[in-house]
Amino acid sequence: MHDKGRITAYQMALMIYPTIYATAVLMVPEITGQYVGRDSWAAPILGSLNGFFTAYVLYKLHKMYPNESLIQYSKHIIGPFLSKILGLSYLFFFLFMCGFILKEYYFFIGISLLPKTPMIAIIGSVVIMASLAITGGVEVLGRASQLFIPIFILPIPIFTIMLLKDFDPKNVLPILEHGLLPVLQGAAAPQAWFSEVFLISMFLPFLKDPEKGLKWSFISVFAVMLSLVSLNLLTIFLFGEMTASYTFPVFKAVRFISLSDFFEHLEAGIITIWILGAYIKITVFYYALVLGNAQWLNLSDFKPIVLPFGLLISLFAIWEFANLQEQFEFSKFIFPFYVPFMLTVLPTILLIIAKIRTRNTMKKEPPRISNY
Amino acid sequence: MFRILKKRPQKQHPIEEMSNRNLPLSTELDKNLQILKSIYKGCIDVIYHPFLIAGKTKALLVYIDGLSDTEQIDSSVLAPLMSKTIDKSINLQETCENIQLSNIRVVKTYDDCIKNISNGNPILLMEHEEQGAALGLAKWDKRSIKEPDSESVIRGPREGFVETLGVNISMLRRKIRSPNLKMIKMNIGSYSDTSIIIAYIEGIANQSLIDEVQNRLQKVEIDSVLESGYIEELIEDNVFSPFPQLLDTERPDVASANLLEGRVVILVDGTPFVLIAPVSFFSFFQAPDDYYQRYLISSVIRIMRLFFMLISVFLPSLYVAVSSFHQEMVPTTLILSMASLRESVPFTALIEAVIMEIVFEALREAGLRLPKQVGAAVSIVGALVIGQAAVQAGLVSPLMVIVVAITGIASFMIPRYSEGIALRLIRFPIMMLAGTMGLYGLALGFIAIVIHLCKLRSFGVPYLSPIAPTIGRDMKDAFIRSPWWMLNTRQHLTGRINKYRQAPNQQPKPKNR
Repeated sequence: MHDKGRITAYQMALMIYPTIYATAVLMVPEITGQYVGRDSWAAPILGSLNGFFTAYVLYKLHKMYPNESLIQYSKHIIGPFLSKILGLSYLFFFLFMCGFILKEYYFFIGISLLPKTPMIAIIGSVVIMASLAITGGVEVLGRASQLFIPIFILPIPIFTIMLLKDFDPKNVLPILEHGLLPVLQGAAAPQAWFSEVFLISMFLPFLKDPEKGLKWSFISVFAVMLSLVSLNLLTIFLFGEMTASYTFPVFKAVRFISLSDFFEHLEAGIITIWILGAYIKITVFYYALVLGNAQWLNLSDFKPIVLPFGLLISLFAIWEFANLQEQFEFSKFIFPFYVPFMLTVLPTILLIIAKIRTRNTMKKEPPRISNY
Repeated sequence: MFRILKKRPQKQHPIEEMSNRNLPLSTELDKNLQILKSIYKGCIDVIYHPFLIAGKTKALLVYIDGLSDTEQIDSSVLAPLMSKTIDKSINLQETCENIQLSNIRVVKTYDDCIKNISNGNPILLMEHEEQGAALGLAKWDKRSIKEPDSESVIRGPREGFVETLGVNISMLRRKIRSPNLKMIKMNIGSYSDTSIIIAYIEGIANQSLIDEVQNRLQKVEIDSVLESGYIEELIEDNVFSPFPQLLDTERPDVASANLLEGRVVILVDGTPFVLIAPVSFFSFFQAPDDYYQRYLISSVIRIMRLFFMLISVFLPSLYVAVSSFHQEMVPTTLILSMASLRESVPFTALIEAVIMEIVFEALREAGLRLPKQVGAAVSIVGALVIGQAAVQAGLVSPLMVIVVAITGIASFMIPRYSEGIALRLIRFPIMMLAGTMGLYGLALGFIAIVIHLCKLRSFGVPYLSPIAPTIGRDMKDAFIRSPWWMLNTRQHLTGRINKYRQAPNQQPKPKNR
């Protein structure tokens, strides 16, 4: 075991929630809005099905190999050679995802908060902060999310209350005017985000209470679904069909908040709070990358490779997309296929092979006690 | 948690080299006297008093002037022994029977003798005896028990620890009379030989915690321990953190309450400050009053304290960030007045804030060190110069003065000085971050602090418990102080082996309803 820390299933759920939600809140309302229009609230519900499925698959795999992560147990399923290739592809995927998230983070902070600050300052600072947490191990991650996530969730109900007077619930009618097909198209993007629940695979081996792992993963997915639905509804109530034409519509909605002419223009404050969630998301992916690498190379400790990988993900972030539009197009057309392929389809294939293999071995020899 | 032991230089005791300290006492009184005199050469406060027991046996009394009760020596030791009623030559045991004292111990080596003499116990040596008697007559001038200045309360006991270890122990024992209150004694300091007591309650405190505290204390090799701060820095978990990882208190009631939570109290001779371990971040926001006042009021005050803690750390940075990066967040009317007030100020908000905060810290420190009579002058100078003249001269804006004042008051709301000063210190780097990156920098600073606190442990207990990791049961005493009839269980991380503090369902209600 590379990390001696232990976390609870509840802490894991708090880490997974921002892992899906933090960047989904930026992109998903806009993408779904473009397909579905006023029915965009239904897309996350359909998309979350993939989240539940992915969580279930990875939990089943975890049950078969309780003390290992996917990168480690794949060698029991598809043999050492293929598993090394699979592990490497996952590591590259995590590397890409870290860069993707960091770039998204930079675009958002750069556009809305610090337009003149150089890219390297924004990306570098958050990577350094993330590496600080990762050297502390999974326990520190869990504790930090216990502090950050309640603050991170808090704005949703506060928005809703403050914006109540501007709501026009009629915007949502008529429901499903064009049938289910556009909703299915719109669900393509959210389901990709929901497949990021895959990262429970890295955390399940550290659980003190592994039997609650599935329950809390489901709760986490459900909470993200609820948050996305409510935010989509909120933007529809406010903007109607116009939602899709805004970049970051949720944050556009914040501008409408005005209480007694004193609390106005709270975007900067809201973005500051969003940073906490985004930070957890970056840290979780960064941790998965570093830990996965240590497991893939059979290193005894992952701490020495934290900073080198920090440099690498910063470079990936700088290289990946030239502008927001490019990233947006990627999120719309490639992301919904690429990410679920890595995070849902491959684990499902692994699970099927593992099931077949165990069935075959059970036929040949009496069942042996797995390494519990 | 366990640091790698570095190879240390060989233990050296300069006194030990001096000779024959561990030798047994000689039967010849003259030789004993000679050796003691050579050990205490140049110590003019050591008194050697030769006398004859019943006019026959040669005897010697050695003690240090001012550490022993000379009146008692005269009346209870010398008077009965020198009286003529004893008619034969007697041995040590019979002599001791003739002394009117309750506390007499036998000493066999020079080392024993030195320890007892240094502690104020006179040593009685006799001719033809290879043993001596240490008489429990230690008595020196001590400060009387007073209310501690640093932790004053509105309601609660008015006593505080003093500099004498024995008195402090007795104060603890008077609060917790159970024989389960145990103490381990050790001496640290090659020159000072300071007595240190680890107090805990058997059956509540975790044995592994006691072992850990003992282990860490045993590793300490130092020439002297003049205050518990020496010990604190030598046994804490993270030496590079600004945050205190042991709680210091002057109050026996606080120490007792912590003992009952399963914590360990370390008492050091010569200081009224005792150390409590392990503690969490929230321990530093619990004033003793909280548990004596009504719970609702205590809870509100505690929430206020935590809120003002955030203010004391983040308000100046928030001001800097908002006024230099996010002016749009400020309501129009306010930004207009802000702009007009800042018009004459030559500095940027960051420089202004840093200057003012440093000046404020200087004023605070100056007021603290000066005698009380002069201290008032500092505050007048501060109020006039900083508050008024600086604003009129156009050096700082009045808004900045308000921010600094609120920050100052907020930081004084933290009941523990050690935590307050740590939080005041981390304000400066956050101000820099806010001055360079606005609210984004502020968020980064917040993240850095939280991550640091998440990594911190105090004797194995996470510093941010019970919030992170969340322990639901312990929340009742973190942000709020629940009523006593709800505080049924001890803190999970320290008192879990003896979970229940009191009987359940003690909420008072009328009978037969």
